[in-house]
Amino acid sequence: MKKIGFVLLFVFRFLSFAGAQSDSTITVSFIVHYNEKNVDLSDSSFVVTDSNHLQIDALRFYVSNICFLKNGTVVLQEKNSFHLIDASNKSSQTLFIKNNNTSFDEVSFNLGIDSVTNVSGAMGGDLDPTKGMYWAWQSGYINFKLEGKSANCPTRNHAFEFHLGGYQSPFNCLKTAFLKSTNQKNIVVVFDLNQFLSSIDLSAQNKIMSPNKQAVLLSEQAIKSFKIINP
Amino acid sequence: MKIKTVLFFCFCFVFFAFQLATEKPFILPKGWPKPTYDFSKNPLNENKIELGRALFYEPMLSRNNIVSCASCHSQYTAFTHVDHALSHGIEDKIGTRNSPALMNLAWQQLFMWDGAVNHLDVQALAPIANPVEMDENISNVVKKLQHTKYYPKLFYKAFGDSVITGEHTLKALSQFMLTLVSHNSKYDSVMRKETVFTAQENNGYLLFKKNCASCHTEPLFTNNEFKSNGPPIDTTLNDYGRYGITKNTKDSLKFKVPSLRNIEFSYPYMHDGRFKKLSEVLKHYATGVMHNQTLSEELKTPIVLNANERVDIIAFLLTLTDRSFLFNPNFSYPKNLFLEPTKD
Repeated sequence: MKKIGFVLLFVFRFLSFAGAQSDSTITVSFIVHYNEKNVDLSDSSFVVTDSNHLQIDALRFYVSNICFLKNGTVVLQEKNSFHLIDASNKSSQTLFIKNNNTSFDEVSFNLGIDSVTNVSGAMGGDLDPTKGMYWAWQSGYINFKLEGKSANCPTRNHAFEFHLGGYQSPFNCLKTAFLKSTNQKNIVVVFDLNQFLSSIDLSAQNKIMSPNKQAVLLSEQAIKSFKIINP
Repeated sequence: MKIKTVLFFCFCFVFFAFQLATEKPFILPKGWPKPTYDFSKNPLNENKIELGRALFYEPMLSRNNIVSCASCHSQYTAFTHVDHALSHGIEDKIGTRNSPALMNLAWQQLFMWDGAVNHLDVQALAPIANPVEMDENISNVVKKLQHTKYYPKLFYKAFGDSVITGEHTLKALSQFMLTLVSHNSKYDSVMRKETVFTAQENNGYLLFKKNCASCHTEPLFTNNEFKSNGPPIDTTLNDYGRYGITKNTKDSLKFKVPSLRNIEFSYPYMHDGRFKKLSEVLKHYATGVMHNQTLSEELKTPIVLNANERVDIIAFLLTLTDRSFLFNPNFSYPKNLFLEPTKD
């Protein structure tokens, strides 16, 4: 009896899958650039050979609530939209979003996790606390994590560490990007790491690990560093 | 078509019957407020509670596989750590606060003395990661559990998936902690009109209602707020409580109002365990309160009680002891899961 049930369930699954084929899919990729060079941390750290000896060891951030807009109005919204983008994990950088042939001219997304999700208990998937993007001592997601080294840092091993997060006023770090897109199929969102780092004086500021004013200011710099390159 | 529909409904029936068999609805004690915990997101289920109970007593949650939740939250002392002003964790390292008693957690919105934790599900992450408590991290805990013989089976039974995740680990722990409801003290029996207070207890109850109940509000014996109750600051700790979380000077020296249920067993008292006896606590509210900017309104006038009144109020506080909670076999170490059954 139970077996037949499973077979039926499989058939239903297949039908719904087949149905989905008629819809188009939007591919959204998030890539990290430093001076036009791709920052890929899959096998090793990213090193810039100049006088600053910049080294990037980790770069991970949450992208959530991806929306597509036409003339400033949301026409398509990804459901359950929470993604951990990790510069050391290629497969995390490409997202597939179902589209029912809606046309749009702009993409928006949040950098980080909203306050409601932040107070809703244990989550799974990319939001699982085992992903290393959750603060244990004071509840809340880390929206953005950048770790590396620079000769400019007067710290131990010249290390810098930016863990940006916080969902409560006045230290709410959630920021939204609105980016124009002419492409309807393959959207490439670039995080310009050079632009972000140029907003920080690493000799003076090299460590953020809790929700505070500096975290809010750097989150504003981070959101400005996202762009879509339209042909 | 018809037969397929029938079969489909049969399948649904079998599936839901299985779910119902293990479902365990949360029982709300009569007259109590609605719980804060959203049970729709983590409905209680016998297998999940049992798994949570195993995890609560699991020393693998710590870096050296020695410290479990129960190390600092022992059932027989209302799930707290007695005899130590400041609780100690891994390798006898001493923390900065007294571990709170665990009970009636479904009615709490914020956890820890300073409200640093915003949901019961994520509460366990704090002691797991704290370098003087368990000094471990949740992803490593998940890996260790996955490599055991029995945990993948228990997770499968609970969640239908033997692949262990942080989410399932934390939700199972919540399930067990949600069952830690203390509502069968003598006080509760009196309220249910099953018994009566002695004259002394009754006088203590009247004094309590007059002097203490605005913060230690019935039936939970806490209003779940953060208050500055005026103990002189301990300069070896410099603990400013809630201020450390909100960075708002209005929250300086505020700590969570603890429940007084099972207070007979949850000594020592205050966030830093500075008082060993209830009489010392009463003395503090009479003559020891230090006036500061954030001091609770209710404490601006000292609570002065005479010797008889002090004895009466303590007699009342002892009616909050709930033996059916302290000795409930469902809350103790799950021997059946970990120990080989003996032949007799």
